[in-house]
Amino acid sequence: MTKVYKDLRDFLATLEEEGQLVRIKEEVMPEPDIGAAGRAAANIENSPAILFEKVNGYNYSLVTNVHGSWRNHALMLGLPKDTTIKEQFFELNRRWDKFPVPPKILAREEALCKENVITENINLFDILPLYRINEQDGGFFLSKASVISGDPEFPEDLNKLNVGIYRIQVKDVDRLAIQPMPVHDIAIQLAKAEEKDEPLPVAIALGVSPLVTFMASTPVAYDQNEYEFVGALQDGVPCEIVKADTCDHLYVPAHAEVIIEGYIIPRKRFVEGAFGEFPGSYSGCRKQCEIQITRITHRTKPIFENLYIGMPWTETDYLVGLNTSIPLYKQIKATMPEVVAVNAMYTHGIGVIISTKVRYGGYGKGVAFRLLSTPHGMPYSKIVIIVDEYVDPFNLEQVMWALTTRVKPSKDVVIIPNCSGMVLDPSSNPAGMHDKLIIDATTPVAPEPNPRSCEMLVPSPATPKWEEILRQLQHAAQKK
Amino acid sequence: MKCPRCDSEKVRIMTKSPVGDAWEIYVCDHCCYSWRSTENIQISEIFKLNDEKIANMGIIPPIPPLKK
Repeated sequence: MTKVYKDLRDFLATLEEEGQLVRIKEEVMPEPDIGAAGRAAANIENSPAILFEKVNGYNYSLVTNVHGSWRNHALMLGLPKDTTIKEQFFELNRRWDKFPVPPKILAREEALCKENVITENINLFDILPLYRINEQDGGFFLSKASVISGDPEFPEDLNKLNVGIYRIQVKDVDRLAIQPMPVHDIAIQLAKAEEKDEPLPVAIALGVSPLVTFMASTPVAYDQNEYEFVGALQDGVPCEIVKADTCDHLYVPAHAEVIIEGYIIPRKRFVEGAFGEFPGSYSGCRKQCEIQITRITHRTKPIFENLYIGMPWTETDYLVGLNTSIPLYKQIKATMPEVVAVNAMYTHGIGVIISTKVRYGGYGKGVAFRLLSTPHGMPYSKIVIIVDEYVDPFNLEQVMWALTTRVKPSKDVVIIPNCSGMVLDPSSNPAGMHDKLIIDATTPVAPEPNPRSCEMLVPSPATPKWEEILRQLQHAAQKK
Repeated sequence: MKCPRCDSEKVRIMTKSPVGDAWEIYVCDHCCYSWRSTENIQISEIFKLNDEKIANMGIIPPIPPLKK
């Protein structure tokens, strides 16, 4: 049976057993140590989660880079840590089809997130070791918080309950800024509340089981409940949730480290930012919404989970990697079954590599057009590479081989000007408009002529056996 | 004390360290910048703010018309 983590602490224990969590026991300064360590972890291969046990001036510990390597990503799914990216892709794809798995609603006394309650003199700094992530950030940010909100028009409809990660700036000891972009689900709910000049209740969960964070980072349809997806990705094991204390129609992860409850102040905007963002550059200041905090519940000795964000790859890219790829794969595969795999992991799908069988001449370009007409691909995807079905799109050496040996630029490279683009991409000008680049690196198939066809090298059937022998010998050598 | 980002004097102590007398957090009530007393703050020119920049900032998300 698939290993499922009850909460963040359960996952951290597994990471530590597997050598994928390190502890910093010496006291560190909030700045620059924690942000710098987050960047450093992103620079290291197979990097571990980092648990800071003592942060200067604060009560509690902090963990970062929890999702920040393919090993940690595999362990999140309950797979062996050396599972390849392509294998993780197909395992996720299999579990995706188990949606929906209804969550299990616990009684309040069963939920560990309710262990402690704060309703007076609320001060986030008492609970969370907050720090500046990047030097030019305008303040201290929650970069890995799952925000739970409901539809004011259909408050009882759990399918419309939204769980999403949005950037959150600490504006005061009991006040936060939030960035609901117009394309985000929470913006639909906020608009309905603001049309009536009503506050929108929200709950913010910090430090949750790893697949909750993963699904909160995944853009699913408006009427699809993220908790039902968590159950699917937990291979059918329901996600445990509990009712929020201040709002009857909000449900929060039952064993979260911290739950912040409050409401978005209607029809008011305040200066927010700057903030270092996922394309590796800052997004400047804008006027955005604020949340008034009315209640905090937390586990005893809460662990603050946050992430470093900056030039890829960082932990953020693992959280928007395969979960961006799978929905695109399913959408394209539905009408083009020849497609083998989709790698949409580059800067949230701005760069995409697709492997496909080529049914007839021009098919590779057709697959690219299909990607560029999907809801995510249309605004985000800018550079699209199509490779043959035997090329692993997650293996960049193989992809480069395909580019260097299959592409004739005069016929295989196409630029389509003046299309939709991603606003945060600094090369998009005006913001939101961009060109599309398609590189068809597939082998020509009739009726396209292939005047210099070649005979492919075929590996010996004994190769997999030898791969296993070498792996075991290397493993034994490392243990000595 | 002046705000290092917008030079406003509307600066106040937001909070102090919960453990020991380690640091204070300051916040500017004009441009919302916040910082810790232990930081060496150097704001790039491009991120400095003034009244004109604040007045012309984008609004996210737009505020919808009121429904009667």
